[in-house]
Amino acid sequence: MAGWRGSRGGGDGTPSDDRIASSQTVRLGKVQPQAPGHRTVFCNDREANSLAKYKIMGVVNLFMGKRKIRYIHSEVNHIESQMIAWVHDIEVVASWSGDSLQWLLLWIVGLKGALRYHLLGFLLWLRTSEGNSVSTTKYDVFTFLPKGLFEQFRRVANLYFLMISILSCTPVSPVSPITNVLPLSLVLLVSLVKEAWEDWKRFQNDMSINNSNVEVLQDWNWVPTPWKKLQVGDIIRVNQDGFFPADLMFLASTNPDGVCYVETANLDGETNLKIRKAPERTWDFVSPDKVSEFKGEVQCEQPNNSLYTFTGNLIIDKQILPLSPNQLLLRGCSLRNTEYIVGAVIFTGHETKVMMNSMKIPSKRSTLEKKLDKLILALFTVLFCMCLLGSIGSGVFINSKYHYLRFDTSEAQFDPDHRFVVAILTFFTLITLYSPIIPISLYVSVEMIKFIQSTQFINNDLRMYHAESNTPALARTSNLNEELGQVEYIFSDKTGTLTRNLMEFFKCSIGGEVYGTGVSETEIGAAQRTGVKVDAQKRSSAASERGFNFDDARLMRGAWRNEPNPDCCKEFFRCLAICHTVLPEGDESPERIRYQAASPDEAALVVAAKNFGFFFYRRTPTMIYVRESHVDKMGKVQDVPYEILNVLEFNSTRKRQSVVCRYPDGRLVLYCKGADTVIYERLVDGNPDLKRMSREHLEQFGASGLRTLCLAYKNLKPDVYESWNEKYIHAKSALRDREKKLDEVSGHQYSQPNIKKFQVAEQIEKDLILIGCTAIEDKLQEGVPACIETLSRAGIKIWVLTGDKMETAINIAYGSEVACKLINNGMKQFVISSETEAIREVEDKACHTSRRCFSHLGDQIELARYMKELVKNELKSCHEEAQKFLHMDSAPKLALIIDGKCLMYALDPSLRGMLLNFSLNCTAVVCCRVSPLQKAQVTSLVKKGANKITLSIGDGANDVSMIQAAHVGVGISGQEGMQAVMASDFAIAQFRFLTDLLLVHGRWSYHRICKVVTYFFYKNLTFTLTQFWFTFETGFSGQRLYDDWFQSLYNVIFTALPVIIIGLFDKDVSANLSKKYPELYKEGIRNAFFKWRVVATWAFFAIYQSLVLYYFVVASSKRAINSSGKLFGLWDVSTMAFTCVIVTVNLRLLMMCNTLTRWHHISVGGSILFWFIFVFIYSGVALPNKEQENIYFVIYVLMSTIYFYLTLILVPVAALFCDFLYMGVQRWFFPYDYQIVQEIHRHEADTSRIGLLEVGQSQLTPDEVRSYAIMQLPGEKSRHTGFAFDSPGYESFFASQAGVFVPQKAWDVARRASMRSKPKTPRTPRTPRTPQRN
Amino acid sequence: MNSGTPSSSAAGAGSADSTAPRRNSKRPKYSRFTQQELPACKPILTPKWVIGTFLLVSVIFIPIGVVSLFASRDVVEIVDRYETDCIPEALRNDKVGFIQSDRSKTCQRTLRVPKNMKQPIYVYYQLDNFYQNHRRYVKSRSDQQLRNNGSLQDTGPCKPEDNTAGGPIVPCGLIAWSLFNDTYGFTRNNQQLNVSKRDISWKSDREHKFGKNVFPRNFQNGTLRGGATLKPNVSLSEQEDLIVWMRTAALPTFRKLYGKIEVDLQRDDFINVTLENNYNTYSFSGKKKLVLSTTSWLGGKNDFVGIAYLTVGGLCFFLALVFLLIYLIKPRQLGDPSYLSWNRNPSGH
Repeated sequence: MAGWRGSRGGGDGTPSDDRIASSQTVRLGKVQPQAPGHRTVFCNDREANSLAKYKIMGVVNLFMGKRKIRYIHSEVNHIESQMIAWVHDIEVVASWSGDSLQWLLLWIVGLKGALRYHLLGFLLWLRTSEGNSVSTTKYDVFTFLPKGLFEQFRRVANLYFLMISILSCTPVSPVSPITNVLPLSLVLLVSLVKEAWEDWKRFQNDMSINNSNVEVLQDWNWVPTPWKKLQVGDIIRVNQDGFFPADLMFLASTNPDGVCYVETANLDGETNLKIRKAPERTWDFVSPDKVSEFKGEVQCEQPNNSLYTFTGNLIIDKQILPLSPNQLLLRGCSLRNTEYIVGAVIFTGHETKVMMNSMKIPSKRSTLEKKLDKLILALFTVLFCMCLLGSIGSGVFINSKYHYLRFDTSEAQFDPDHRFVVAILTFFTLITLYSPIIPISLYVSVEMIKFIQSTQFINNDLRMYHAESNTPALARTSNLNEELGQVEYIFSDKTGTLTRNLMEFFKCSIGGEVYGTGVSETEIGAAQRTGVKVDAQKRSSAASERGFNFDDARLMRGAWRNEPNPDCCKEFFRCLAICHTVLPEGDESPERIRYQAASPDEAALVVAAKNFGFFFYRRTPTMIYVRESHVDKMGKVQDVPYEILNVLEFNSTRKRQSVVCRYPDGRLVLYCKGADTVIYERLVDGNPDLKRMSREHLEQFGASGLRTLCLAYKNLKPDVYESWNEKYIHAKSALRDREKKLDEVSGHQYSQPNIKKFQVAEQIEKDLILIGCTAIEDKLQEGVPACIETLSRAGIKIWVLTGDKMETAINIAYGSEVACKLINNGMKQFVISSETEAIREVEDKACHTSRRCFSHLGDQIELARYMKELVKNELKSCHEEAQKFLHMDSAPKLALIIDGKCLMYALDPSLRGMLLNFSLNCTAVVCCRVSPLQKAQVTSLVKKGANKITLSIGDGANDVSMIQAAHVGVGISGQEGMQAVMASDFAIAQFRFLTDLLLVHGRWSYHRICKVVTYFFYKNLTFTLTQFWFTFETGFSGQRLYDDWFQSLYNVIFTALPVIIIGLFDKDVSANLSKKYPELYKEGIRNAFFKWRVVATWAFFAIYQSLVLYYFVVASSKRAINSSGKLFGLWDVSTMAFTCVIVTVNLRLLMMCNTLTRWHHISVGGSILFWFIFVFIYSGVALPNKEQENIYFVIYVLMSTIYFYLTLILVPVAALFCDFLYMGVQRWFFPYDYQIVQEIHRHEADTSRIGLLEVGQSQLTPDEVRSYAIMQLPGEKSRHTGFAFDSPGYESFFASQAGVFVPQKAWDVARRASMRSKPKTPRTPRTPRTPQRN
Repeated sequence: MNSGTPSSSAAGAGSADSTAPRRNSKRPKYSRFTQQELPACKPILTPKWVIGTFLLVSVIFIPIGVVSLFASRDVVEIVDRYETDCIPEALRNDKVGFIQSDRSKTCQRTLRVPKNMKQPIYVYYQLDNFYQNHRRYVKSRSDQQLRNNGSLQDTGPCKPEDNTAGGPIVPCGLIAWSLFNDTYGFTRNNQQLNVSKRDISWKSDREHKFGKNVFPRNFQNGTLRGGATLKPNVSLSEQEDLIVWMRTAALPTFRKLYGKIEVDLQRDDFINVTLENNYNTYSFSGKKKLVLSTTSWLGGKNDFVGIAYLTVGGLCFFLALVFLLIYLIKPRQLGDPSYLSWNRNPSGH
């Protein structure tokens, strides 16, 4: 290796020494010569990057051990140097592009036949096949069979049949191996074909990715090259809207300031644009000529899967530049708003972060499937008992008195002297004989059914297609279809799930004054609750723009200047305009600009600032430009650039975001916005009135169902800032252990690493001055109340787990017409809150002892103890009261509302049981201010503690843990991000689609799977039991009743298709009726169709039928069976019995169908017909090499007798007689609910097709239609009225600010007259309504 | 099935979606299959259907039952159990010893004809407790060998009756070896009644399973003799006793066709049977019976089918009546919402 480098290292410049050094270490046998946390990439220098090789050596190392590796290394080095010579000789060095074919040629030409070269060739092939090609396939041509089979045999059923197959090759077997091998191989074949097909699709997908082109720098030109040929260190160019083919180091961009915008939707689902910034030193490497000069070395961390971290250094000309995630462009992201960028490949292929992130989602198994395992286990027990019985019988039977059987010592199984051995061997014989009792094709059939259900039915359901967001439902797993039919508890996130996550700036409180006249949906609901009529129409005139639904003449259009504290207002607006991470897109004009924000709240706030006259229009990495309409200079519009010094980002642990900015005049200000709790903790002492009033307002906003944020600011002294900034930058730019250093700087000890990062921020985010707070309305999603009502009628209990304030949550949950109907006035509410007077007192006490709340350890413990005691008492009293209610006749329904802090104590192991007992009695539970972890805890509390089937639904990253914890996870797709969807099992676009998902698909799926499973159980038991009864009459010898082929095809051919048809098409009641009678769902919750009682019923009928099938057939064929006095032999009887079994079992399937499509007829008729065709052919053909031709001509013999036909009519009828009687009686006297519903609507045609044309409206009651109408009011109407006459529009607004004359309108005058304060400006716009003042 | 690799799909979207504009509708296409709206009939098992079905079954079954019962009753059957009676009383303590000895085993029986019997009258022997369906027994034959002259050596499954010192046994195996060897001769009024042995086996067996040019070899040459010998110069396909015997019975109690008497028998005729009691069923206390039986269009005497039909039909009729009565006295209203569980029990659970 060193030789190779040496021979070509001439032009490499300085780093070549390094490389030799590192390859030296390789020679010493170290697989990873460099420090494990460190890797070097030589940019623009292909041959210099030997990284892939190390990796291969690692792989080889696994197989060969260190000593051999050492040998191979030296050998490879040796050969390599030889080869280099060869390569030089034949002058193809230059054309070496890593193509394995060329290498192959090289071998053939250069290195003839030496075996060790093959090894080298293999290694080289491995190396060349590395690069940037990715493979997501599970198998390749060689590993497919072994690996695929291994996967298959991990299933117990398959393994069992493998063992049986092996057993049937031994002499103890009563059947030929074909009996068990054939079904097993068919099942395996189906599974393997499926696997292969899926893998092939993955392979094609990989290929299309690997072969897509990207421009690579070669010889001063951009050459289009397939992705797979990319290598570490290559310089590439990515054009606008293109995808990054590998993890790149960002070098240069066509944008000024070396920035580019990337969309990370494929990574984390966030659709907002992110800024990436190239190191300043490389900004000008844009053109190919220039870039070709670039020679750099990147030292960076080893590939890892953390998307948001990266540490590295770029060394150019011995200058070290630190690299951060900001300079890293990740594979999978796409370039936006930038003509093109130039980057250097750092990680390729499977080493890219996105590939390192690809992990298997742990697959969930449905409860029914787990119960199915128990059923299989029960079948094993039955099998064991049967075999035991038979083997004892055989031990007793065996006797040399049966001279014609010639029992003697020659064969162990028939040795009358060793009865015990006989019994044991017969046991195995019987296991082989009775093996069909375990339904081998069950799993594969169920899998197939579920797969079609999810891919064809759920994914294609038009009722679950959301036209606005163009999102159909998506079943991401097909394991859990029937689980959807049994859900009892739904844990729902609020924001984005129940609500639209369409944030609108609605109200605000500035300096202790409330602004905003709107009436929120929840307020309307609340008003209606108390009987006050609110004119919903009033809302229609308020809104003006998406994200802004605010109207208050005192603030709008510059009127805030007349308010009591305009300075405060100004800070408020500036905070809104500056403190965010929003990116503007499009024209820099107010009406055309689009904001790209991480969250809709942020966008709403910036939009609000714009509407207040603080128009944020441009962002550079260091600056924010705001077009302000200034107080001091009336009517002037001024573009103010603010220098952004630091952005302390928002995350869910910090719950706040700060920006340090420098005004053009040099003033240093920290603006901070965040949750009220965190902001209040950090406020400077003093001004209690403002704090108190703001808190009141916050509560008031919360009660109206609004989301609140507190705004605060702080003026910074330059020296204080400088010293802090130094620490901050130092911590940030540390190459290694960055987080640790950040931690040191902060001096805080936090357990979670992601918290550590932000501790530096703590030092500056303190002593803030409160400005005010904002209230953002998040509208309920369409149809949510109706959906919740339907679901609760279906017996599903819905728990709302939200991070919102208690008041917000309660109001959203409150049962009114508009808000969710979770809680209503008839309910007894239990509130367990930490926001009580008693707790405040203790908190205050703790605050008194130490100046800062909760910092004193002792007080904290005391507080915790106190809280726990309190929660305990509260729970206890609630529980007692609930018990009291429980025993009452007309008990009110119960509702529990608990907040996160109390929940923390209630989830304590000692209280958990009580919480669970109590909450299970409640019909509605609302948990507010809970963390993601608590969401998961609550979910698993119910899942594990109560053993109920749970479903979690959410849309954001904070719901991921909850989604994964529940039995079924549902993600809301098409909104906030993709994390929830990625973690979910099903993704739907709207909460209301849950009704379809659960009540229709889930319920049907549950019914179907139950039918399929019980039917499988029945048909195999029946079949095997006939065999069992026969055993008693054969001296327990294990003689088979049926021919080998009959037995082997029974499961896989003769009875296979109808059961799949029933699993796909059976429908008890139509989709519309399922939703009209949601109570039907309760049958699933009770698991009414797969209880042991149901199984026992089936077992009983299986036994009965098998007795009829066997004894009737046998009894009717004892005597001469035709007029010529001839008799049936064993095989005639058995064929007749088998025919009866096939007919009976297939007819039984027809009996259990609720609907009969033509597919039912085809499959059932076809199965029976196929049996006859098969037996005609099979018994008509004499196989030349078969030793025994038992079945030969049997069916023709049978069909020549009248007895056959008589029996064929008699036996199935007699066998199904009991089933029919049972079904008739059950339906007559003990009908299931769905049967009643069927009867109610028996004369109706399936109208769902008509209904489909007007999905969304058809199933609604008048009430619901009205509530829809109300909900849609603001959005719909405002779009038309808002601009038409209500508001002068931005043009005139800014025109007026700029001094351009805008004609006054009549209502301006009217409004001015009604103003409380003197209007200073005639241009102050207002609304035709009289402003509502509190 | 489950997309466990988000990245691959992400990267996949990367190349595929980049060109595809977002407005591409993902609206699923309508089809009756995917929307689960295939036309279907929805049978509901209403009381009327229940009653109707039961009535229908009874209407069909009772006549069939009556007819087949009559057919069975038409059959005249004479059954004579002889295995004990055919041993001299003095030797009945050691039946096995007797049967294995060289004494004369001829035995005379007299049968009275209870009813007129039309020819052909079928002669059966019935064995009891004889496990022709034992696994060891059933597999102990070689169909190849029976069918093919060239497959003499095909004695694989025949153990232990596969080979002798003189070569392979034809027909090999326990079944052939234990061929039944009691013989019956019939006289009426001292007049010999011919027992025809032709066409007592299934045609398909004769023609396909037993070769025309396969002849017995080394049969019953071993130390142990299991049963009857075969005529060495008659091909297997003409040895109908063997063919009948080789079609193994399904149950341990079975009849085999011995021959046909092609003469009508009159009521109260006395028939003398001269039988050679050779076959050893004594060691396993198996019964031996001689059966003379006529047949009807349906076959031999078998009341079971008729009774079963009548029982099922009668039961259905009875149930139809019972349900009809219930239906008339206390009808269940179809689709009565008050039957719904949540209406019966408003509190829900």
